[in-house]
Amino acid sequence: MRIVFAGAGAVGSTALWFCRNLDGDIVVIDFDRVESRNLLAQVFTRQAIGKNKAEASKLQLKNYYGKNIEAFGVRLVKENIDRLCESANLLVDAFDNADSRRLLSQFARSKQIPLVHAAMSADATFAIVRWDERFEADVEDTPGQATCEGGDHLPFIGVLGATLARIIQDFVTGGLKRDAMIDLRTVRGC
Amino acid sequence: MAILTITYRGTSAVYPLEISEDIGDADIKRIAVEVIRSGEVPGLQIGDLGNSAFMHFVVDRFDTPEGGKRLYLRPKVPFGAL
Repeated sequence: MRIVFAGAGAVGSTALWFCRNLDGDIVVIDFDRVESRNLLAQVFTRQAIGKNKAEASKLQLKNYYGKNIEAFGVRLVKENIDRLCESANLLVDAFDNADSRRLLSQFARSKQIPLVHAAMSADATFAIVRWDERFEADVEDTPGQATCEGGDHLPFIGVLGATLARIIQDFVTGGLKRDAMIDLRTVRGC
Repeated sequence: MAILTITYRGTSAVYPLEISEDIGDADIKRIAVEVIRSGEVPGLQIGDLGNSAFMHFVVDRFDTPEGGKRLYLRPKVPFGAL
């Protein structure tokens, strides 16, 4: 199974970390570079600062665990989405904006490729993992709204990343498509 | 009968609701404010909850296999990666 992660930021990089034992070919796409502030909420180490996030994910998983993945350090846009995602058996949305989520949804629906989304609120008190059949992308209340990149949110990001990884695992091993809602008290099916 | 799940400040609570099929989001938000204020939602009682507490929230609507409705009043979730 070929699993394509779109986004290797807080949620994407954490979920990748927990997916390293999956029996499948993992691909990660992210155009962004690791900054020192990212170390507060993402799985990257100091050695990754300045590197592309997809490449840094690939290096870390290879160096620490011997896990080989593919990395594409580009922005996913309509001009390259066919080339990067058409061979996927599963798409994972860990983007940070509604436009990119919608692009991925449109592609997945047109190609009938399973797609699971992970998304969290700005204050990191609530998050969802939801399959595309039941997902609609939310937009920020105001453009450029402050996001959950501070270190205070790391534990919640960890819960979301682990939940996403488990839901991916259930799909890979048994074809299950579970949704989840996460708040500060619980992870619950929905 | 619908089941309304309200998530506010990191806590979720469930409230059964008699509603019509065409009830709008604004009405659901208004009802949520009222029932939380009055203490009718177990685990989510805020007596001084403001009228605009759910202004930026969204409502998800799903049909259940039993023919009912599940409603989720929740914060927006725009973020996933940075």
